Amino acid sequence: MHRNLRIYWLTAPALLVIACFFIYPILLSLQMSFTDFRGVGEAEYVGWKNYDRFLSRSRYANAIWVTLKFTVIVVVVQTLLGLLFAALLHRMPAIRNFCRAVLFTPAMMSFVVVGYVWQFIYSPFSGGLNALLAAVGLDSLARGWLGDPDTALYAIAFTHVWMFVGYTTAIFLVGFANIPQEIEEAGRLDGAKSWQRFWYLERPLLAGSFTVNIILSTIGTLKTFELPFIMTRGGPDRATNTLSLEIVNNLFGAYRFGFASALSIVMLIMVVLVALVQNGYLRRREENT
Amino acid sequence: MTLPRIASFAAQAAMVCIVLVMLTPVFYMIAMSLRTAAEIVEQPLGLPDRLYFGNYVNALSQMAYLRSVVNSIGITLAVTVLVAFLGSMAAYPLARRTNRFTRLVIMLVALGLATPPFVTITPIYVIFRNLGLLDSYLGIILAFTALNLPLAVFFYTSFIGAIPKELEEAARLDNCNDWQIYWYIIRPLLGPATATLSLFVTLMVWNDFTYPLLLLTSPEKFTVMISVYRFLGNLNVQPDQLFPAAVLGSLPLLVLFVIFQRRIVAGVTAGAVK
Repeated sequence: MHRNLRIYWLTAPALLVIACFFIYPILLSLQMSFTDFRGVGEAEYVGWKNYDRFLSRSRYANAIWVTLKFTVIVVVVQTLLGLLFAALLHRMPAIRNFCRAVLFTPAMMSFVVVGYVWQFIYSPFSGGLNALLAAVGLDSLARGWLGDPDTALYAIAFTHVWMFVGYTTAIFLVGFANIPQEIEEAGRLDGAKSWQRFWYLERPLLAGSFTVNIILSTIGTLKTFELPFIMTRGGPDRATNTLSLEIVNNLFGAYRFGFASALSIVMLIMVVLVALVQNGYLRRREENT
Repeated sequence: MTLPRIASFAAQAAMVCIVLVMLTPVFYMIAMSLRTAAEIVEQPLGLPDRLYFGNYVNALSQMAYLRSVVNSIGITLAVTVLVAFLGSMAAYPLARRTNRFTRLVIMLVALGLATPPFVTITPIYVIFRNLGLLDSYLGIILAFTALNLPLAVFFYTSFIGAIPKELEEAARLDNCNDWQIYWYIIRPLLGPATATLSLFVTLMVWNDFTYPLLLLTSPEKFTVMISVYRFLGNLNVQPDQLFPAAVLGSLPLLVLFVIFQRRIVAGVTAGAVK
């Protein structure tokens, strides 16, 4: 028995890292969130004051709303577009690998580079998008895409989808490749048209790929920070002010460590809630199909 | 050619065109980096008339680019070694035993995987400051190791689970202990998993922004992305600085991608599906 337990010593170093970098920080965050700690000096216990502040100002409710709205837009558009690309490429073996690689390329670039490049593309001063619109005679649509509160969040969401739609496509393509040949063959022999095979045969069998894609892109977008940080700094009029941006600004703009910690705890709760709801729903959906 | 053949060819040609349109921003970035600021303002969509490298000369002289590339490579290597070692070692017992303890460990690892860095960034900053780890290579290496470790544990656990147990049983009869079995029998078989994992680590170390932005302050320690950000700043970004810096920032990974594209796409996708 003694000998059998020794094997667990191998997990000890990794457990230590997880304890130091995830468990202890989360507990410390929880503790700091009840103080007015400002980075230096003594921290005073202030009870629920930080959470009251979070609940009583519309600015923070707005940050949650912006974060969730951004997540929904990106997850829905990216999943549907990736599915469309994958369904088409599944039927085009000759160009499949080439197109998959091309679509994947933006995911190799960093948020920082992508943010800067798209900031200029959207720019009202000699930016690429307005110039393109003018070139095809649609000048009337031209605007400062990131300077307008009505379009800024959508513009950033579009950039995010552009970056990662290749990732989604690649995961769906794995799902398509795992569909047994006989099923597709049978569909073809029964005279099912291409879109009928997609809707009645392939789509239900892709439930697993849907789950992976939706969970991955949700985790990735709930914490969105870099694109709004580089492209808009949360503006205009806080239209792109996500929760993670608010955390970093409280931390390093205002040195409100206590309040930033409270926001971190709110974020953790939000992520856990979304993950639980989504996981429960998607797994049940997989079992039903 | 028959009619369906022509239709299929046309559809594939259309698909290639659509997909290439997705790359326009990348071409745009490269084209703009080779034009002067005046040319960009005059003709926002024009192609470079000649190859003008002046922007690159300026960017390279002001960015400490090569130094940041060396930093990123060094950090990537250190993090990969640490993550691969700690992750595979932890995964071996998890793959071979199932009981209350291993289930608890896997739950903790899942917690680490799901926790966004923003939840832990404030306390980690405070802890690092108290330990004197701010603005040090050791600090950033530890932070990236912690961020990648949960994924590594999961990844190796499923990989080791697929290795047959016969080899280990023979070694156990020869009186090898757990550590020896891990080191001499399991570890040498992990090459493919480590290759995929190193890909994730490379992508994160090169492209991650938040941790190095908050933890590193002296320019000679910057990773590539921080050096790009510090060079460009937030306000009034000039196109003749922006585009060469963007190209330089993404060039190393884009070159790697062109060479290893098939393996990278397969690896990153497999890592996600597992």
